[in-house]
Amino acid sequence: MQTALAAGETLCPSGINRATRVWITDATTVTALGDGLHGLWRRLLSGETETAIKPVRRFPVAGYRTHIAAHIEDLKQPGYRSMIHSLLDRLFSGMGPVPSDSVIITATTKAGIDNLEKLRRGVPADPNDILLDSVVDAVSQRFGLTGKGINISAACASSAIAVARGSALIAAGRAEAVLVFCVDIVTEFVFSGFSSLGALSSAPCMPFDRDRNGLSLGEGGAVLLLMSDKRAKQEGRPHLATVVGWGVANDAHHVTAPAPDGYGLIKAVRKALNRAMLDEEQVSAICAHGTGTIYNDLMEMTAFRHLFRGRNLPVYSVKGAIGHTMAASGGIEVALGAKALYEKVIPPTVGLLNPADEAIGMVSPDAAQMSGDYLLTSNSGFGGVNAAIILKRGEEASCH
Amino acid sequence: MPLITGVGWVTVSGMGRGRERNDFAMTKGRLPRIARKSVFDKPHKHFGRMDEFSKLGLAAIAFALKDAGLYEWSEKRDIGIIASTVYGCLHTDIDYFDTVMPEEGQLASPALFSYTLPNCALGEAACHFGLTGACYVINEQQPSGIASLDAAMDGIEFNEFEKALAGICDTGCPPHISLEDKGIPGSAFVVIEKGPESSLTPYGSISLNEGGDIIFNGKRIENLIGLIQECLSESPE
Repeated sequence: MQTALAAGETLCPSGINRATRVWITDATTVTALGDGLHGLWRRLLSGETETAIKPVRRFPVAGYRTHIAAHIEDLKQPGYRSMIHSLLDRLFSGMGPVPSDSVIITATTKAGIDNLEKLRRGVPADPNDILLDSVVDAVSQRFGLTGKGINISAACASSAIAVARGSALIAAGRAEAVLVFCVDIVTEFVFSGFSSLGALSSAPCMPFDRDRNGLSLGEGGAVLLLMSDKRAKQEGRPHLATVVGWGVANDAHHVTAPAPDGYGLIKAVRKALNRAMLDEEQVSAICAHGTGTIYNDLMEMTAFRHLFRGRNLPVYSVKGAIGHTMAASGGIEVALGAKALYEKVIPPTVGLLNPADEAIGMVSPDAAQMSGDYLLTSNSGFGGVNAAIILKRGEEASCH
Repeated sequence: MPLITGVGWVTVSGMGRGRERNDFAMTKGRLPRIARKSVFDKPHKHFGRMDEFSKLGLAAIAFALKDAGLYEWSEKRDIGIIASTVYGCLHTDIDYFDTVMPEEGQLASPALFSYTLPNCALGEAACHFGLTGACYVINEQQPSGIASLDAAMDGIEFNEFEKALAGICDTGCPPHISLEDKGIPGSAFVVIEKGPESSLTPYGSISLNEGGDIIFNGKRIENLIGLIQECLSESPE
């Protein structure tokens, strides 16, 4: 929808209304560390993370390089439906009221791909769950949303791009509320695939460590309710954080390998800083993609060293605690980022023992105090995609 | 105001670009086999190894860029690619999982797995043509291609990238999965530019009205197929 500019508001040359701020007014997560953002934050900070990445019993793993993943132990398979519905139900129960005029943007890479596995083995299953738009339908129906929705599929940057797209719609006055809903599950399909690429670590992953040797898959989801500040104030919604900047760029280098010089990530971060009208010095910390693969982590550090020259800016990754949750990772990291800003705490990089040379002075296995108001989160993925989001501290810890 | 400067497609009826032919149509049926030589003048080292979804998307993107005079390049360009799809790479998903089943995953094909993400098809185009803008796939609740056009136009309007390719890409519903058949096989892309690089006459101007509708040359557009038909109704040259 179009909204008229109020007195004193201005449209910047890019068409974005700088006076409209994009608030995060509600957020929840479900991960292998439990349901809810508070619980996830508490376990992350208290070091209660060793139980998340564990042996997989959901499908046979004897033939693979690794046998572990950060999967949710009690995720059910309801009848012919995909496991993803069980995850969706848990996310639904963690959310407060959602305005019926919210635009829905979901982010999933493979939706209910477990149902394709069943069908190929001759086991009855609902084929509709395989399609990526099935998640949009499920969320729309659950919240009674009236508008058309979309799913964004961009590998591991899917949900960061969903946040960027939702923020752009609000900032342009074309939506007042956007529900970003991101989910992915650990299945034999994705586990075998990452194993075949030699991307899985045999032990829990060690982001930015000199001995890192791959990622640990994880599953989970996050829900973020984005709202214009005006609408949020009208409805008395809490202000968890503000999305002030976003940027998306492609490496144009290789489909499955990141650009060694960090070309796309540097460009995405610069776009986000430009959108936020911030200088590099104003960024307080970075929630990196930090998968624990040799090439991803090296590329990220190359990009961050280039962007934030001369600064040992604090960088952390949460994937050593909850695994790499694929399309959901960006959304979970934005939710945790809002919490980190509010608590003024930089979370620990779980799994880190000895920082790689390029990461020395920037990463830590321990939590630390955060100074400043702005946090950068970034994700990169197959297809050469990179996305960056900049958050500003909000005024409330949570609405629940 | 943004302009449509290029159109390219691969459909059941054939493949091509707007300045060379105007017989674009998207109908159900069997897609043509896409040979490298019918798309690229020079050898393309990965084309033969790509899945059908990637070949389909890359071919239509190549035709659209050629149509807009943006085919040749020497430095990377800030051009986004946004594509709508219904089934994405579901055919490749099936082919991949069929390599997983026999030996409990020990024969899983890494080459096929790489193409089980639909955005990798766009990534192939980004690599080949040096396109560094936002690059992602959209699955619409009501497939029309409008969401991709919308995102591409917003991206240009908000300075997220300079130019964009917006399109649709589908290889059709796999025959062995009983799904509602709601996507027409084929791929079609348009190039959207604010300040065209080439001296070619654009097809027309495109904008969003106050109600959020897409307007091309003064007419409201219902879907991407309709937009392309409108572009070709009066060939620019």
